Amino acid sequence: MSSAMPGRRSLSGARVMLYAVLCVFAVIYLTPLYVMLTTSFKSLEEIHQGNMLALPEQWTVTPWLDAWSGACIGLECNGVHGYFFNSISIVVPAVLISGLLGAFNGYVLTKWRFRGHKIVFGLILFSCFIPFQIVLLPMARVLGILQVANSTTGLVLVHVVYGIGFTTLFFRNFYESFPNELVRAAQLDGAGFFTLFFRILLPSSIPIIVVTVIWQFTNVWNDFLFGVSFSSGDSAPITVALNNLVNSSTGVKAYNVNMAAAMIAAVPTLIVYVLAGKYFLRGLMSGSVKG
Amino acid sequence: MSFLHINNIKKRFGDTTVLKGIDIAIEKGDFLVLVGPSGCGKSTLLNMIAGLDSISEGELLLNGERINELHPARRDIAMVFQSYALYPSMTVAGNIGFGLEMRKVPKAQRREAIQKVARMLQIESLLDRKPGQLSGGQRQRVAMGRALVRDPQLFLFDEPLSNLDAKLRVDMRTEIKQLHQRLNTTIVYVTHDQIEAMTLATRIAVMRAGELQQLGTPQEVYDDPSNLFVAGFMGSPSMNLLRADIVRHEGVLHARVRKRNEDVLMLPIERDAEALAGWEGREVILGIRPEAITDPASAHHDGRIFEAELEVELVEPTGADMYVVTHLGGREINARMRPGTDISAGTPTRFAFDVSRMVAFDPDSEARIRHT
Repeated sequence: MSSAMPGRRSLSGARVMLYAVLCVFAVIYLTPLYVMLTTSFKSLEEIHQGNMLALPEQWTVTPWLDAWSGACIGLECNGVHGYFFNSISIVVPAVLISGLLGAFNGYVLTKWRFRGHKIVFGLILFSCFIPFQIVLLPMARVLGILQVANSTTGLVLVHVVYGIGFTTLFFRNFYESFPNELVRAAQLDGAGFFTLFFRILLPSSIPIIVVTVIWQFTNVWNDFLFGVSFSSGDSAPITVALNNLVNSSTGVKAYNVNMAAAMIAAVPTLIVYVLAGKYFLRGLMSGSVKG
Repeated sequence: MSFLHINNIKKRFGDTTVLKGIDIAIEKGDFLVLVGPSGCGKSTLLNMIAGLDSISEGELLLNGERINELHPARRDIAMVFQSYALYPSMTVAGNIGFGLEMRKVPKAQRREAIQKVARMLQIESLLDRKPGQLSGGQRQRVAMGRALVRDPQLFLFDEPLSNLDAKLRVDMRTEIKQLHQRLNTTIVYVTHDQIEAMTLATRIAVMRAGELQQLGTPQEVYDDPSNLFVAGFMGSPSMNLLRADIVRHEGVLHARVRKRNEDVLMLPIERDAEALAGWEGREVILGIRPEAITDPASAHHDGRIFEAELEVELVEPTGADMYVVTHLGGREINARMRPGTDISAGTPTRFAFDVSRMVAFDPDSEARIRHT
């Protein structure tokens, strides 16, 4: 009896405090987003009145349209849409290729072990700890030799190389706990190296595929340093374009257009989180093995 | 030429030898059970037959053909795993048909084969489900279906029942036995459960620490154990093992056993007398199955019965039987008596020993004493 009561009382005491503090932090965290969103729907005059936290008196989508296809970046005034698709054409192949290679690495490092597999894994893992800045110069040289400098292809290559360490880590640890008996059963059934991977392991890997996609997509999409170093002009990703947009505005700063462009740059990662989270299925493996 | 011939097979991992030269030969239609405590190498041997572990030394012959180097998929062998190892992303039908699909069997033919096996195992209604939606017993059936559908030369079972609850285990055991009899397949089955071994096998191979202890029919292994380990491992409750001296008494060879008080019990030697004659004046370990010690009324009189009065220490009724514990040769001795017999602890009772079923072992080498 007495043990139940304090629990109830703490809900009305410490709990309320806790939620209050959490709410305060949530507000602090969300305020910039709120300001960005409201500003992006205001006209410049309204912004200049200085009331940052107020809702728009007159809602307008002109800043969004401007940001998408009219704002001047450098000398061209076509908005960010071209760079948005640059980013897409970098992210999609980079995520797919690095994910697939990571999955293969994980598969071989756990199910087709060879002498020295631990060292190989250690070396791949080591690449996760190499800071971006260190590889800038050598990478520039490599891209030059391969003649893919200043192109989205070059950026895809950079992100694939940089991503393999992480994707391998994810898949290796996942396949480490994948039952070996399943692999053996499939071998007895006549499945070869690739059949085993594509028919048995990969369909059971959805949770780790989702993790890998979220991780890689976010990292590649949000990358600025590689983008600004290895691209120029038309091949730049949206992060670089956003920076140029904000810096190249002459005369009056179009805060509303800048905010809209920043939102456009942020939307895809948000979408990935929302969609992928839905497919984050747990217990997919249950049933294959008793336990 | 035997159907499956395991010829002096050895397995080494680095410096440790886990299988020290195993020799087993079985015929087509045999049900061979490899039994032994964990770590005895029975699963390793099974994996070597399957081709999942390499063979360090020796020869593996299936149907007269050396298969040492043959890839597992090409050995015409199917295996049922302890964990069932069902492919989680495929339906039951997909699981059963996967082996056929890999062997490029046309779809229509495949479907027919899956149906046939599903009917045989009574899992027709489950064909569209995923393994995650099945109970333990159903998964077990699917795993067997996956092996059966390929109609291989040899079936391997790796402790297939150890994940099931006690009741289901007995049911599935019966079913596996029926399946074997009906299809007349050749099976190699690994278990650590000696009851499973006794009930299923046509041939039992008892293993310990990488060595074959005895190979024989269940009855041979049970009645005629070749050493102390086999005697103690097979049978539940296990064989009574007690120290005894071999002496000659009134011209007849006897085993002299100490009772709890300083008295001795003289059990006449009936079996292996010739070999035991050489042990006169020395100590041996005597083995008597619990069912060979009974109350005088329920003793088998086709054996050679010797009666003695001993003090009862404990009575354990199980319903079907009554186990009576007494003390002999420095050990607790289990006797199996008729239930309902009026026996209580602390009272002297007459025990009937079937001395024709008594066996003796060398206390040092642990080998059976019998003439060779």
